[in-house]
Amino acid sequence: MSDLDAQLLAAHNARDHAALIGLYAQAATAAPDLDTACFFLTHAYVFALEQGDTRATALRAQLVRHGRETAD
Amino acid sequence: MPPTDLSTVRRPTATANGLPNAHYTDAGVFAEERQAVLFDSWAGLAVGADVPEAGDAKPITFMDMPLLLVRDSAGTLRVFQNICRHRGMILVEVPRKIEGAIRCPYHSWCYSTSGKLVSTPHVGGPGRNTHEGIDKNLLGLIEVRSHVWMDVVWINISGTAPPFEQANADLLARWAEFNVPLHHGGADSRFELEVNCNWKLAVENYCESYHLPWVHPGLNSYSRLEDHYHIEQPGAFSGQGTLVYRQLKDENGKSFADFADLSSKWDTAAEYVTAYPNVLLGVHRDHAFAIILAPQGPERTVEHVHLYYAAAGTDAELRARNTAQWKEVFEEDIFVVEGMQRGRHAAGFDGGRFSAVMDGPTHMFHDWVASRLERYRAAPLAAE
Repeated sequence: MSDLDAQLLAAHNARDHAALIGLYAQAATAAPDLDTACFFLTHAYVFALEQGDTRATALRAQLVRHGRETAD
Repeated sequence: MPPTDLSTVRRPTATANGLPNAHYTDAGVFAEERQAVLFDSWAGLAVGADVPEAGDAKPITFMDMPLLLVRDSAGTLRVFQNICRHRGMILVEVPRKIEGAIRCPYHSWCYSTSGKLVSTPHVGGPGRNTHEGIDKNLLGLIEVRSHVWMDVVWINISGTAPPFEQANADLLARWAEFNVPLHHGGADSRFELEVNCNWKLAVENYCESYHLPWVHPGLNSYSRLEDHYHIEQPGAFSGQGTLVYRQLKDENGKSFADFADLSSKWDTAAEYVTAYPNVLLGVHRDHAFAIILAPQGPERTVEHVHLYYAAAGTDAELRARNTAQWKEVFEEDIFVVEGMQRGRHAAGFDGGRFSAVMDGPTHMFHDWVASRLERYRAAPLAAE
């Protein structure tokens, strides 16, 4: 298990949703292809959305840019 | 079970019977009243003070229906069905602050606090959050019609009742002087009473002053039976008033501040009405209260009691005394409503007879319940 996987699992277990935003964004950056990246971006976006985190806007914009989310 | 016979309930008070036993004990009748009496009317659900700040959310199960009370990010109070539009999963399990979106714990569909469906993660496959079959504009949370008055959150689940202001026009007019900001007294001004009775018995007892000298002898020392009057508005509300309300005072003779600009009637008057079906209200020159009856089954009810004042920052000690005073009064009623509940298991009881002079407000409630049931029972025939 990679260090990032371990951190994600630990954050999930601790219900640390604030940490999950950054960790999933990191996972997206390290993803080998666009589909995998968008999978992780989606998770980062959802947890940002849930917490009213300002990063939600930029994360959504990335998904929109890749045709994976509606613009409004 | 065939429909209950309501014909004698609808007679004039002097010759009427109360509602038959089944209306207090039978699960089938309870389900019938759920729709006819509670869902088709403006029923009390909660108070605004339950969700004081933007983002506050409180799940409430009302007659087995999972609801979610939310103060949205703009400060508007809303009531939704507490379920995701995807698989019907419960969205919020415990009262909490929604910081951003309401995220379903199952597949993470996300809703804004105003009910809009914001995101449907992976709905089109991994990392693909849209699909032509999912129109987010059509899949927001299901909102329940609601209205706030006297800080009570009233809901009309069927959506078929006239507008709240129309349905309750007479009560709003009667108490227009109390249509002012009410300040909840806070944690020390709310309590719950769990009672082993059908919710209607709490209404029936609250409506009449007949029992006061026997059940509340403490009140009778200054507020005698003859100081009370009936309040009767057929089809809408009933209750009682007193002409000798006396303010609570501390050791220095200080009392709560009055609501502004009240007419002289309220110098010594206080009124207690049931806004049909399930909200018991009381108004006085210096405080008000609301009791929301939450039916838990045919034979169990939770009474949610809230006290309000004319201003914020009332004296905590005096406020605590006021809460304690009312709690004592309401607790004195418990043996009565629970006793009547046990009495409803006496086979052959005819629903009882009323005092034509003293029980008018209580019979008015019975008559209203019967009228709602008759209307409900007649509806399928009318549609054919």
